[in-house]
Amino acid sequence: MTRVAIIGVGHSRFGRRTDVNVGELAFESIREAVEDAGVDKNDIKNVVVGTMGSWYEESLPAVVVNEYAGLSGAGTMRVEAACASGSAALKAAYNSIMSGETEVALAVGVEKMTEVDSATSVELIGRAGSYMWEFENFGMTFPAYYALYAVSHMNRYGTTEEDLARVSVKAHRYGAMNPLAQFQKEITIEKALGSPVIAWPLKLYDACPLTDGSAAVVLASEEVAKRLTDTPIWIKGVGYSSDTANLSRRSDYVGLEAAVQAANRAYSMAKVSPGDIDVATAHDCFTIAELMAYEDLGFCRKGEGAKLVREGQTEIGGRIPVNVDGGLKAKGHPVGATGVSMAVEITKQLRGEAGKRQVPLKNGLGLMHNVGGTGHYAYVTILSRS
Amino acid sequence: MSEPPSLHSNRPLTLRYDIPISRTREFWDSLKAGKFITTKCSGCGNVTFPPQADCPACMGDRFEWVDLGREATLVTFTSVQVAPASFEGTGPYMIAIGEFKGGVKVLARLEGTEPKKARQGMALRIEARSEKDGNPYYVFVVA
Repeated sequence: MTRVAIIGVGHSRFGRRTDVNVGELAFESIREAVEDAGVDKNDIKNVVVGTMGSWYEESLPAVVVNEYAGLSGAGTMRVEAACASGSAALKAAYNSIMSGETEVALAVGVEKMTEVDSATSVELIGRAGSYMWEFENFGMTFPAYYALYAVSHMNRYGTTEEDLARVSVKAHRYGAMNPLAQFQKEITIEKALGSPVIAWPLKLYDACPLTDGSAAVVLASEEVAKRLTDTPIWIKGVGYSSDTANLSRRSDYVGLEAAVQAANRAYSMAKVSPGDIDVATAHDCFTIAELMAYEDLGFCRKGEGAKLVREGQTEIGGRIPVNVDGGLKAKGHPVGATGVSMAVEITKQLRGEAGKRQVPLKNGLGLMHNVGGTGHYAYVTILSRS
Repeated sequence: MSEPPSLHSNRPLTLRYDIPISRTREFWDSLKAGKFITTKCSGCGNVTFPPQADCPACMGDRFEWVDLGREATLVTFTSVQVAPASFEGTGPYMIAIGEFKGGVKVLARLEGTEPKKARQGMALRIEARSEKDGNPYYVFVVA
């Protein structure tokens, strides 16, 4: 059986990108990824585009992106797994190589969220659940969904608003060291705690922003990867799962069951344990989501996520550095691009190319945890130097 | 810093859906009469909320309606301070998940309390309401 490697990565600047349209924005990372891989773009036979769309004007984003980049003629599709669309694109591109169908594939994630007013964006994400039973009469918002989990987690385990603020402070500290991040300024716990409430108990600084951005990775079969690069980063494990559309059908609200299942499947496929991972990205669309991710991924016991951040164990030099690129909170969260952006970050870390944000590598293993909606979709992907 | 130029599209898109409810119509009719009911599979006995005509446990399509009563307990809650565009000007408002006897859970607006006073496990009552244009809905109130 072949193996699949990431051989090229590209990443746009994240933020409010009113200077570019969706094709131009995607191209920024596609060109970088293709150049980094050293492939002829005509050898790319499959392009999978992860994007949620509807906040920008194009209905067929995959073909628009491909036309702009001169990739028309490749097999293509747009995939949607909400905020995990990027990981879904990666998985679909990976599958096309594993099946023997193609040797080189491209996964692109792109989102343009600021072409509509922000109340409309809030509306579109608020509908990301079960429309009739959560939105139509009640007006749920994305922060509100996670707030239901935050209230439960805080009550059950004593997680505090200060703990949530610590996650935000950590994100901003690393965002300040990432030139591609939307927010490159450090903040204090006081500033986070003093920010306005958006969905009680979550505040503005507990939430990721609306972001425009793109990321791309070139994937290749083992044979091609070994010919083209000395530093292939192998996709060693992919686990994915899902949960009910209606939150009311879930059994509990202190963790994301889909993420637990995805993690277990990824660890088992890669034959590694949580303690083997050198660096991770966690889907911190809200601060509470990062704390639950620590627990769901097995980085600590259930209910001890807050302890990990209090002790600084998820910073560089700690037991398991998480989101040292700024995370969704500070780097930004262009929905469909986020999963691919995580793959770019982990690849750079494993290649030893992360500069002043480089984590020490022991096993050469990195993990990306990418959640769509409120644990509606979950993808956990494990990357390896060997 | 001034924004770079963009073309402000003159073609706004309005989407308004007509959502089919015929297979679970009795839920909405009962709600208008003040009763809160849901579906129970006649084959395996699985009770679902939201109501659905086909059973997700055994895939059977025979079902009966069961009355959930009015009493529930508070499982978790939030208060929405920043509302979506179509709810603009209506906030802030609270939303809760309540659990009925037998374990069925329901998400709805919560009235009669505030974030700092609400407690998990507190007793709630579900009440039927209707919008000005006649669409029925339901809310939790503190019992």
